[in-house]
Amino acid sequence: MSVSPRRLRAGALALATLAIISTTACTAGGSGGNANGGEAKTLTVNTSFVLKTLDPGRVYEATGLTAVHALYDTLLTFEGSDVGKPVPALAESYEASPDAKTFTFKLRSGVTFADGSPLTADDVVFSLNRLKNIKGSPAVTVSELSVSKTDDSTVVVTSATPNPNVPVVLAMPSTGVLNAEVARDNGAKDGADAAQGDTAQQYLDTNSIGSGPYVLASYEPESQVVLEANPNYWGEKPQFERVVLRNMDVQTQKLTMQRAESAEISLDISGKLLDGLPESLQTSGVQDTVYFLFLNADPGVSAVTSNPKFNQALRAAIDYQGIAALYGQGAAPGAGLVAPAFPGTLPASEASTRDVAKAKALLAEAGLTDPTVKFNYPAITYKGVDLGTVATKVQGDAAEAGITLELNPQPLTTFLDEMRSGKSPLGFTPQSLNYPVADSLINNMAPGQATALRSGWTVERADPAIVAAGEKVTETLDLAARAAAMQEWQRLMNQSSPYIVLASNSSTVVATADLTGADYSAAGWQVDVAAVGRK
Amino acid sequence: MTMIAPDPVAPDPKVDRALTRRRWLGRLRGGSAGRPVWRQPIAVVALAILGGWLLVAILAPLVAPYDPLAQSADTYAAPSATHWFGTDSLGRDIFSRVVHGARLSIPLALAIVSLALLVGGLLGLVAGYLGRFADEALMRLTDLVFAFPQIILAMAVTAAFGPNTRNAVLALVIVSWPVYARVIRSAVLSMRGDDYLNAARLLGVGPVRALRRDVLPNSIGPAIVLATLELGNAVLLLAALSFLGLGPRPPAAEWGSMVALGSQDLSMWWVSVFPGLAILTVVMAFNVLGDALRDRLDPRYAKGR
Repeated sequence: MSVSPRRLRAGALALATLAIISTTACTAGGSGGNANGGEAKTLTVNTSFVLKTLDPGRVYEATGLTAVHALYDTLLTFEGSDVGKPVPALAESYEASPDAKTFTFKLRSGVTFADGSPLTADDVVFSLNRLKNIKGSPAVTVSELSVSKTDDSTVVVTSATPNPNVPVVLAMPSTGVLNAEVARDNGAKDGADAAQGDTAQQYLDTNSIGSGPYVLASYEPESQVVLEANPNYWGEKPQFERVVLRNMDVQTQKLTMQRAESAEISLDISGKLLDGLPESLQTSGVQDTVYFLFLNADPGVSAVTSNPKFNQALRAAIDYQGIAALYGQGAAPGAGLVAPAFPGTLPASEASTRDVAKAKALLAEAGLTDPTVKFNYPAITYKGVDLGTVATKVQGDAAEAGITLELNPQPLTTFLDEMRSGKSPLGFTPQSLNYPVADSLINNMAPGQATALRSGWTVERADPAIVAAGEKVTETLDLAARAAAMQEWQRLMNQSSPYIVLASNSSTVVATADLTGADYSAAGWQVDVAAVGRK
Repeated sequence: MTMIAPDPVAPDPKVDRALTRRRWLGRLRGGSAGRPVWRQPIAVVALAILGGWLLVAILAPLVAPYDPLAQSADTYAAPSATHWFGTDSLGRDIFSRVVHGARLSIPLALAIVSLALLVGGLLGLVAGYLGRFADEALMRLTDLVFAFPQIILAMAVTAAFGPNTRNAVLALVIVSWPVYARVIRSAVLSMRGDDYLNAARLLGVGPVRALRRDVLPNSIGPAIVLATLELGNAVLLLAALSFLGLGPRPPAAEWGSMVALGSQDLSMWWVSVFPGLAILTVVMAFNVLGDALRDRLDPRYAKGR
């Protein structure tokens, strides 16, 4: 017999004692302090790596964005936690045409790449064309843009459709400017067929050819990425000469931060995990993620969820305050689909509220007794929160109103497949924007759009007022008016859309007390490491 | 000396059967040597623990002070007089959930082991008795299952069929039947040439009857011991599956998933420690009991000999 009873018994105790062992392991683990031997000039950033590449044209993952933002400059950028208005970077100024189709950028003079060669309009045109034409994950943000130069210091970006948010797109790390000559020498292409011809990723993963405040010193995607200060940086030099991005799971990050004394940052401690951190640490967070339920509006998928009265009843049944509490610090009850970090969000005073009596009345009105619905959700932990716990809370809330939800945790891929097939009667998912503009919500979630159709929400099944409100947002070119139109759209969405926003929560930067500028940014790069200094 | 003549008295199958059927039961009572199981202090403790858990499982609604699924605003309450084991992230009473968890874990473990014993036992019996192709095919099939670590194979099976209680049980039966098949097969093989079987065959006893009346009673003993040991393992594997989100669906009070919930924030130690202790005590008790049984029934393992 190949499995001996003795071996079975030896293995038997392992899981049973798991809880106890891991509790005690907490006090024994953790490196403590600055891992780089207290070098005063090194900043350590701990994060659970989501890292595939450091090629600006292909970077799409959180850790890669943090590094690429420090290695490559963009035309515009955001400062600190503010993602409302882009500020000059490589472009010292820009002008937008009234129809929001043409944007003219005046480049700063005297900017050089890290190797000392000058940065010109050609490099900008090359980099943006390459981003668009290699058709990597971030290309979607620039697919409607075309770029040209009028002289060595002027770049014109045109949009096929009116888009007042082009400046925001040009602050994204993926639009970082590469040294075109070096890039070409190493296989980079910017032509229309670049998707097949470009072979520069391998080179760009291990070499940086930008003009940013840091250069890449080493790239080990499983363990660490080391950045060193760019000696030829054109702007104000960063205070830390070295930045080490360390791959670390979130529990270890928490233990490390509990002992860290100086020059250390963690990016993934959020929500409930923030409880119990020492008072001396500073945190910076912005609510940039919303969590919502989607009900299928197609009677062919579910006669229950497509019933507008059921939709209303479920909205009234949910304890939004209680759900926000599950997310811990920095969370808020759901208001609208646009997270509080972004322009056009609904004020906290408009957060949804619970009314169980109303829910019961609505169900009775609809003649629904003990409605039962399968409730799909991905069995994952997202930003420190186990989605299963939230789903169970929703189930408990719904039960009090007389609605039975059958919890159906799914592996992430299964969940996504079923959602995409449009067969999920009721689902639960987080949503983060891939750049800090809420327009994409309208492009995806308005009636008849791609995401909406996955919930069976066609234009015919939608309130015409919602369709009109969505069109109004897209047509409004003034940014302030656009934000107001976005709010109006969300108010209507909260009445009869298939989406029930449960809560929003924040990502958080936790930093030691001696640091300044460790601000969380919802612009994608999480923290601007070059802006971090000492008090 | 060579044996030419048959035994002067052919054994009466009835008498022999009665004897052999009693063989392992007799050892249990201390018939061969050593103390019977219930005179070994550690086995008695194990039995008491299991008895206790069985009672808790049967009387769960009376023992548990709260509804195990009822959520409350009193989240993450530390253990106190109102909540003996504290509450979890949704304000559910952990003591009540641990108590109700016994209703899931213990019956499911029994179901897994009995199904595996049934399937493995039958296949092992047939393979051992028929030999040749049937034996060869079965042994290669068990090799196939043994080639994977149990938990990995169980995870794969549950993930393929979809995570729920039925599929978790099914997966664990699939990974655990070969052990019984091998044990029973080897027991059958060792008695294949035995005189009483030959005698039965000469008397015209068919294979089904022979298997049922003669072979099974003589080979089931070691499998029963193994099953007792495996009960602990079944509790553990089930907990491991639901720890990974592949077991009974939430909000069911399953010990493994309760440990998983608590492991998200270990500063609230009570959320995972109490269900962890429940798993620990049940698994330990089944293992100790299995060991004691084996000591009785298999002299090779007996202590001090």
